[in-house]
Amino acid sequence: MSAMTARSPVRLFLQRLFRRKLVLVAVIILLVIVLLAILAPWISPYSPTGMRVSQRLRPPSLTNWFGTDEFGRDVLTRIIYGGRASLGIGVAVVMCTMLAGTVLGLIAGYFRALDAVIMRLVDAMMSLPDILLAIFLVAVLGASAGNVVLALSIVYTPRVTRVVRSSTLVVRELPFVEAARALGVSTWRIMTMHILLNVASPILVQATFIFAYAVLAEAGLSFLGAGVPPDIPTWGTMIAAGQQYADRAVWLVLFPGLAIVFAALSLQLLGDGLRDMLDPKLRKAL
Amino acid sequence: MFAALARRLAGMLIVMFIVATMVFFLTRLAPGDPAALMLGEQASLADVAELRKTYGLDQPVIVQYALWLKELLRGNLGQSIFLQRPVIVAIAERAEPTFFLALLSILVATAIGVPAGIASAVWRGRASDQAVSGGAMLAASIPSFWLGLIFIQFFAVRLGWFPVAGYGPPGASFAERLYHLMLPASVLGIVNSALITRFTRASMLDVLNEDYVRTARAKGLSEARVILRHGLGNALVPIITVVGLTAALLVGGAIVTETVFGLPGIGNLVVSAVLRRDYPVIQGALIVIAGIYVLINFSIDVMYTLVDPRVKY
Amino acid sequence: MTKSRHPQFLQLGLSRREVGGLALGAATIAAFIGSKGASAQAANSLNLAMIGEPQTLDPMASTADLPSLIMMHVYESLYTFDQKLNARPMLAVEMPKVSADGLTYDIDIRKGVKLHSGRDLDVEDVIASLKRWIEMTPRGKSVGAALVSIDAKGTHGLTIKLKSPVPALVTHMALPSGYAAIMAKESIATPLVNYIGTGPYRFKERKPDQFVILTRFDGYSARSEAPDGYAGKREAKVAELRFIPVPNANTRVEGAIAGQYHFADQLPVEAFRRVTDSGSAKPILMMPYGFPYLVTNTKQGLFADKKIRQAFQLALNEGEMLGAAFGDEKFYRATPAHFPQSSPFHSMAGEKVYNKADAAGAKKLLAEAKYDGTPVRILNSKQYEFHHAMALVMAENLKAAGFKTQLDVVDWATLVQRRADPALYEVYITHSSFYPEPMLSPPQLGAGAPGWWDSPAKNAAISAFNAESDPVKRGALWAKVQEVVYDEVPYIRVGEFAALCAGSMRLTGYVPMPMPAFWNVSLG
Repeated sequence: MSAMTARSPVRLFLQRLFRRKLVLVAVIILLVIVLLAILAPWISPYSPTGMRVSQRLRPPSLTNWFGTDEFGRDVLTRIIYGGRASLGIGVAVVMCTMLAGTVLGLIAGYFRALDAVIMRLVDAMMSLPDILLAIFLVAVLGASAGNVVLALSIVYTPRVTRVVRSSTLVVRELPFVEAARALGVSTWRIMTMHILLNVASPILVQATFIFAYAVLAEAGLSFLGAGVPPDIPTWGTMIAAGQQYADRAVWLVLFPGLAIVFAALSLQLLGDGLRDMLDPKLRKAL
Repeated sequence: MFAALARRLAGMLIVMFIVATMVFFLTRLAPGDPAALMLGEQASLADVAELRKTYGLDQPVIVQYALWLKELLRGNLGQSIFLQRPVIVAIAERAEPTFFLALLSILVATAIGVPAGIASAVWRGRASDQAVSGGAMLAASIPSFWLGLIFIQFFAVRLGWFPVAGYGPPGASFAERLYHLMLPASVLGIVNSALITRFTRASMLDVLNEDYVRTARAKGLSEARVILRHGLGNALVPIITVVGLTAALLVGGAIVTETVFGLPGIGNLVVSAVLRRDYPVIQGALIVIAGIYVLINFSIDVMYTLVDPRVKY
Repeated sequence: MTKSRHPQFLQLGLSRREVGGLALGAATIAAFIGSKGASAQAANSLNLAMIGEPQTLDPMASTADLPSLIMMHVYESLYTFDQKLNARPMLAVEMPKVSADGLTYDIDIRKGVKLHSGRDLDVEDVIASLKRWIEMTPRGKSVGAALVSIDAKGTHGLTIKLKSPVPALVTHMALPSGYAAIMAKESIATPLVNYIGTGPYRFKERKPDQFVILTRFDGYSARSEAPDGYAGKREAKVAELRFIPVPNANTRVEGAIAGQYHFADQLPVEAFRRVTDSGSAKPILMMPYGFPYLVTNTKQGLFADKKIRQAFQLALNEGEMLGAAFGDEKFYRATPAHFPQSSPFHSMAGEKVYNKADAAGAKKLLAEAKYDGTPVRILNSKQYEFHHAMALVMAENLKAAGFKTQLDVVDWATLVQRRADPALYEVYITHSSFYPEPMLSPPQLGAGAPGWWDSPAKNAAISAFNAESDPVKRGALWAKVQEVVYDEVPYIRVGEFAALCAGSMRLTGYVPMPMPAFWNVSLG
């Protein structure tokens, strides 16, 4: 390890993160998926909406690696484009939950008076299963990509709130925060500078997991018809549309599902790697 | 200890009150009209308005809320708009598939998760540990509905080992109904095994480092005996906790799997009620689902208190 | 038979054409596919895959199809239809004796008809049931408005007195949707708890989202005439009918092919080939089954201007809309006529404006009306895939004519709510089953329906039609009404479409009718 000390913090961070080879593999898969989604219009072999009815339900071949769907559209192309919507929704959910959950968690952890109120609300939300609450919220809000993001954000915010609150409870009692308080540093500054910086790692870990959950939940909602409108390709809507052909064209269901599995798996492995690295107690256990 | 439990009980009631209120108002915020759905296309707007009145839907929402809450406190969940029966009866009719599905799924998940977790802890850091951790992550990354579709294609359609969907024809025997649950329970069991694996591994690691385990080893007890008796015995409480919570979440959380396999369970009841805007059923079912979760949570707390008197609140 | 088989669709069942991915459609709610037990026990029972869960089992509590489809096996009415959709007596001995002024109906009821409770049906049951029908159902209410009295005449006769003629009275009482079911008077209650009628089947059990089971009524009193449509002799040849809600159309198709369902209702027309080729099930086509129609908001906003509604009508390419919705011409027909050639109500009034796709003509009308570019809000639901397909074509037609459009796609439960608010839409899309008699559908021909159509021309044409009982003159008077409809555009009847069902190869005695009936049906 001594040879590393001279290196930059970023390298050190990556070196420690990738000590587990599986995490490195996960990050590579994740990067590939993200790049494919971003570069979709330039690298896709076909148009995601171009219908060629004469080519419908063709099995995987050299021209259509993942086969074609009931309208003769190229499944690979649609999976690449589907990643845009699926991952896009995931990223949006992560950003919304991080923001809302961090604010609520800081408030609950720092202002004891509000703690009871916020945490009872959190308990109430968490007493309903994720997917059930999400379906219900989408029914209230109406089915659209934006509302799926909103619904999933509401569903996952309590998790972040819990994590941030408990970290805040610990950090606010630490000597340096007490010292800052004694020096007359404003509450706002203590919260943003001292506490936020210190709870950043658990938030980061949560973020990767929520990303994975959001991708999975979006697929579930779309499958139930309570999600993104069926004409926007997401991995979930592709499976939903493909299921009725599952007996003749299993690739319509298989490949979008594998895309979800790969995305969720690499995110969870990354989250796990981050947790091992950032949580000193667990690190020892390894 | 009893004071602590009483406080916990009060907190539980507050949570249930919040759930009830939240569910009620969200239900009313949703667009859609059950009366118009009920009457069909030939009804006039006046007919629809009249039917809304019969259901009390013409009153201000806050009045509806007060009336509903009053009945709720008496234990009355109200009457379904579409099913011509009390909500509680509608839920009770759906309880069987949901209950047995949750039970079988938990059995599968435990049968996978506990041995895998123990193996992973015992051979910590070795290839098998990595494999188990990776496998658990993989299980947690599979969308249950997708695995369901794939299982149906493979085990039901291709191999014909299991029924494709449903809960047996009318009048099916109990054994036949359970048989219909095999495939969905395997799906849910696999997907939910991840959490149990991780928990088992973590608790076993904690316990295996304890002095009494070393003592037991030093006494020359067989390794299997040390692990199972001293290790697993002491790691049992956290494992039961996670099994219990998983079970609680399965009551409403199996909704997607119930849909894929066409099981007439509680999840399916909620989905169809949402589509029909059957307000009393939505409200009642969500309250029951949340109530079960909160109760199981509470029982786990009680269990902790009994098993380990040091636990404080 | 009303569209409602769907509206409820509540279950998302959606109706025909939903595409599988659809919504919960995905829900194979009570599919028994693959269960070996189902076919083993089937010898003496029929598994009937329906498009969803019935709203209710009280046939008067809803105008939706499903409650009536199931319960017409349990409850009979005084009159019913033969295969050509002519009214025929059922519980009545014969067609009523109507006075010359059309105001008095004398009806005799068959003697010795057993109710499911074992008692004989008498006039008290009939009067109590008709009164309930008049109080509860839209059709009954329209009769009620003209009613003076219903009185018993002995134990098996009754006299209906009216203020003004209701030429469609017998048809109203014969229609099996929101229908005049005759029930045992002591069972009458709201909500209905005991289902006691006179039909060949009696109610046994309902498990929501799983099944409704009817069993043979051994004491059934059949008519002696040969079966003809719903009319004539009815016989429960199969001991048990199981109506199973299967909202996913694809599951209904697969289940019928696999032999798990002996009958599957309302399949997507694309399944025609697959069913035909399967060798294990046969397609059953009912054409015309119904018609899609577009209701305009005549009360408020852009479409309150008749000229703009006319421009809208002129711009549409109905043939293309139907093509997008139903594919093959086997399954649809574009025609301005509201009734087929064989009907006394057949009229081609409107052919000058129907199916014209006349963008130039529409532009001219828009210029005259000083159209300001306010978008046309098209309220439609994806829960009926064919509604949405028509909406997409319609929007293109409108754009070509210079309209601005806005597609408001909502779920069905929301659509039925929003259409009640004149501030929210210009046009919404729905559909209805076909009825042999005008004024039964769409409801816009009456008062108080969404769209709020009300004008001197409407009232004049419709009251003239309603006052006439001479069948020959009624034909000409309907042509008049149809002309007003094409002139004022309160709704546009897009055309006609077929219903595709599938039946087991072993099914014998099944007669395609708008609403499937399973008496006289057996398993060969």
